[in-house]
Amino acid sequence: MRRLTWSHLALPALVLIMALTLVPGAPLAQPKKLVYWTHWEQNPDFNKWYAERSREFAKKSGYEVEVVTIPYQGYEAKYLAALIGKSGAPDFFNGIAHQWCGQYDFCDPMPADLARLWDESIPRYMVPIGKWKGVRYGTPIEHGNFQQMYLNADLFKKAGLNPDRPPKTLDEWLSAMKKLTTGDGTSGVVGFALRHKGHPVGITDKFLPFAHAFGARMLSPDLEKATGYANSPEMAAALQFVVDLVQKDKVASLALGGPEDAFGQKRAAVIFRESWFFGWLKKNAPDVSFKVAALPCGKACPGAGALFPWTNLVGKNSPNKQAAWEFIRFISNAKDDLAQHESAGILPVWTANLESAYVKARPDYASTQEMLKQPVPPTYFHPKSNELATAFGEAVVNALYGKGQPKPLLDEAAAKMDKILKD
Amino acid sequence: MRRPPPLGRAVAVALVTAGALVVFFPLFWMAVTSLKTPPELQRVPLRIEPDRWTNLDNYREVFARQPFGRFLLNSALVASVSAVSSALVSSLAGYGFAKFQFPGRQLFFFSIVGILMVPFQSVVVPLYLWVSRFGLLDTYLGILAPDLVSVFGVFLMRQAIEVVPSDYIHAARIDGAGELAIFWRVILPTVRPAVATLVIIKFMWTWNELFWPLVVVNSPSMKLVTLGLVSLTNMYFIEYNLVTAAAVLSILPILAIFLLGQKWIVRAVVMSGLKG
Amino acid sequence: MRRRTHLDRQRRAGLLFVLPALAYFGFVFLVPLVESVIASFYRTVPGGASRFVGLRLYEKVLTDSTFWQSVRNTLTLLAWSAPATIVLALIVALGLHRLTSVRWRSVWGAMYFLPFSVSLVAAALIWQWIYDPVYGLLNYLLGFAGIPPQKWLQSLDQVLPALAVTNIWVRLGFDTMVFLAGLQSIPAEYYEAAEIDGASRWQCLRRLTLPLLNPQILMLSILELIFNFKIFDQVYATTQGGPAGASQTVIMLLYDTAFKYFRLGDASVMAVFVFATLLAVTLVQWRVLRRPVEY
Repeated sequence: MRRLTWSHLALPALVLIMALTLVPGAPLAQPKKLVYWTHWEQNPDFNKWYAERSREFAKKSGYEVEVVTIPYQGYEAKYLAALIGKSGAPDFFNGIAHQWCGQYDFCDPMPADLARLWDESIPRYMVPIGKWKGVRYGTPIEHGNFQQMYLNADLFKKAGLNPDRPPKTLDEWLSAMKKLTTGDGTSGVVGFALRHKGHPVGITDKFLPFAHAFGARMLSPDLEKATGYANSPEMAAALQFVVDLVQKDKVASLALGGPEDAFGQKRAAVIFRESWFFGWLKKNAPDVSFKVAALPCGKACPGAGALFPWTNLVGKNSPNKQAAWEFIRFISNAKDDLAQHESAGILPVWTANLESAYVKARPDYASTQEMLKQPVPPTYFHPKSNELATAFGEAVVNALYGKGQPKPLLDEAAAKMDKILKD
Repeated sequence: MRRPPPLGRAVAVALVTAGALVVFFPLFWMAVTSLKTPPELQRVPLRIEPDRWTNLDNYREVFARQPFGRFLLNSALVASVSAVSSALVSSLAGYGFAKFQFPGRQLFFFSIVGILMVPFQSVVVPLYLWVSRFGLLDTYLGILAPDLVSVFGVFLMRQAIEVVPSDYIHAARIDGAGELAIFWRVILPTVRPAVATLVIIKFMWTWNELFWPLVVVNSPSMKLVTLGLVSLTNMYFIEYNLVTAAAVLSILPILAIFLLGQKWIVRAVVMSGLKG
Repeated sequence: MRRRTHLDRQRRAGLLFVLPALAYFGFVFLVPLVESVIASFYRTVPGGASRFVGLRLYEKVLTDSTFWQSVRNTLTLLAWSAPATIVLALIVALGLHRLTSVRWRSVWGAMYFLPFSVSLVAAALIWQWIYDPVYGLLNYLLGFAGIPPQKWLQSLDQVLPALAVTNIWVRLGFDTMVFLAGLQSIPAEYYEAAEIDGASRWQCLRRLTLPLLNPQILMLSILELIFNFKIFDQVYATTQGGPAGASQTVIMLLYDTAFKYFRLGDASVMAVFVFATLLAVTLVQWRVLRRPVEY
């Protein structure tokens, strides 16, 4: 009745399953490996550098670094499971200090002398990054994490504006946007590439420069209260300004998708982006001639601030944590900092490197210097920053989409944020 | 089989064919996009054809960035084992639920179906901790842990076996056959289409699993195709040209299996059709 | 006395058949599930410790408007996706069944089934690309019919139906195949007998085919309900719950709550909610739709 029956499959299947249990899938880990986890998939050269540099380090210590790149999508779940589980956890990893060291207790404090070295070597605004409650747990790895203004030089010239003299105040900026706008983006050019889709946390991140320019802040300086800050008159004015960009002045459009694409396709003349952006432009939109300038100021200047302070942290429960700190100590110098960041095309972290030839040759050199001289903007390094930023971002998006007026939406968001803070 | 009138059949054929082409079109679009360069993607107005039909740069890039070949192998291994083991255990369970009365039958069945109702995201951390305790992190068995038996499979096999005439079973019992022999020789051949369906579906489902492999796999050599694909998207932007190339690569093996297995499935289906 | 041993043998055999599956699921899912339910009574405080809080988290989650908004979104998406998928799958399966050429049946059948072979993330990304307001294929084609470009995934009103189309596209082949397998298992003589009795095509469909497909219809109704209620990958990879929370599903909120907001207890409450809801609806479906089918 049959040539091939199920019974013929059962035995091989059983054998296969038995074989799988006995054969270790991954090659047995070589002794003395420092496992480093990062979700920075867009910077493979930067990540690889750790492994390559560690070969030199291995000669003295016997430890080599193994870099594991984790997809950004879902990385929080993976980190949490691994760090709770202890075995299978990384020795050091790329994360946000106030989350993994503040909300959870997974981080090992940095040795005091190393911490002092870092405090002295990095720009003022970066010092709190990697710290929680005054204790340093990690090293900031990215300097270009604050937004700057990218402008399309050709579109500026066409609109009668001088790309070498970009607008410095929000008023100048707005009138420039109006001159640049010839359509709604699907046809013609729109002045500003606005971020309006995606997770509300990202929306908050991109809105904060406007908020800070209006002199507003999302939380009280001690990070304990939102009401009175997130819904302050200044914040409402900032949100109204951005909403007007879309609805009244029509210099930004909700019809465009990702702002990066819009700028690359020359449908938008200006975008606020971090320092990695011009590398992306070179690769994906090589025919866009752009300039980088400091963000326009209002009552205050947006300054160099980051909502996502990425740092390298060491796991408290790692059996190799001493070696991990030794490796970090090994690369804690200006030369390595420069080499690593140069290989990936991003701004180095150490102050000493900000005057190097590599940085001087970058299109964002002047603007970076200018923005670093400005006062440090508010930061929100709180364990619940994700949730707070989400609640806040929802108000911003709702306002943009016309689902309410700025002030009432912000009142609602502030109440929600206070509930979160009190919880 | 009943012969439908020619006109009715022609209309049915036309509709089904048209539907198939519409459903297929996004995949065609995906394949075409994988042959374009990033500037081409940003071109407006849209052009359907790529500039060069032989532009395999994206594929080269996908393999250059990660050991994608190894990913394909890993996925194939994991999906195969999962499909076979699921088919076996699910059929056994489906038969038990369909044709036997025992205490707790309804309760057990609903418990199993109930597992589908549990969001995986909420059990992932406890499950991970157990897998970790057994030292199965980053291993094939660890990846397979939640996929060795299929709830859908139990459901499907129960429904399929339910309609098998009980007379066959009674007759076999009277003939003195053992229960397992009845399962092997009477039940399974009768529900071949369902088993074939289950094998294919479970293979595909495991092949496309993302979340669990993401959490349990660390080494690049153990990654699956889905992880490779999702690495081409990051927190800033999506490289559609590469994503589509990776997606095409991930479909090809399934397509191959489907085409190769077609004959066998068809034979099973045709034979069971004649059986009645 | 003979009947007693026969029944005993029956019972024992039945239990043995289901034992492997039960043991596996018990260990792999039941234990983590119980742990997760227990977690719904605990709160993680800064520092990582857990504190028992009884039903407080239930009260918190079940009175949260964001949570109910996500439930509403999920149900809307479900309503757009599930019935359409099942009905279309039935129509397609009937159509494929009519094809006498087995070769063509496999070719067209394969085409319907192919979307299922693409991972959910890849499917979502392809459709996002098709839906792109500026570079997308859909607006390009609609342009020929004079329809202005739509915002699709960026529109508050269109995002859920647009996501539903992706769902239907992915699931159609799967449901079709299940129906087809069911259709193939119906013995031919039933149709022959009906034909002799003078039954029309419609009567055959209503009185014969549909009732005999009842097990498959029931199963797919339950599976589509469960699948659509648990949607995560597609939304996470594309809209991330936007715009303005219009596409945030329950599981997306669960994921964010657990892993982005570090509130595992709250997330466990949501999981219990999902589980209880699905269980209740499934039981209702089982009672209402199920008709014992035997020959």
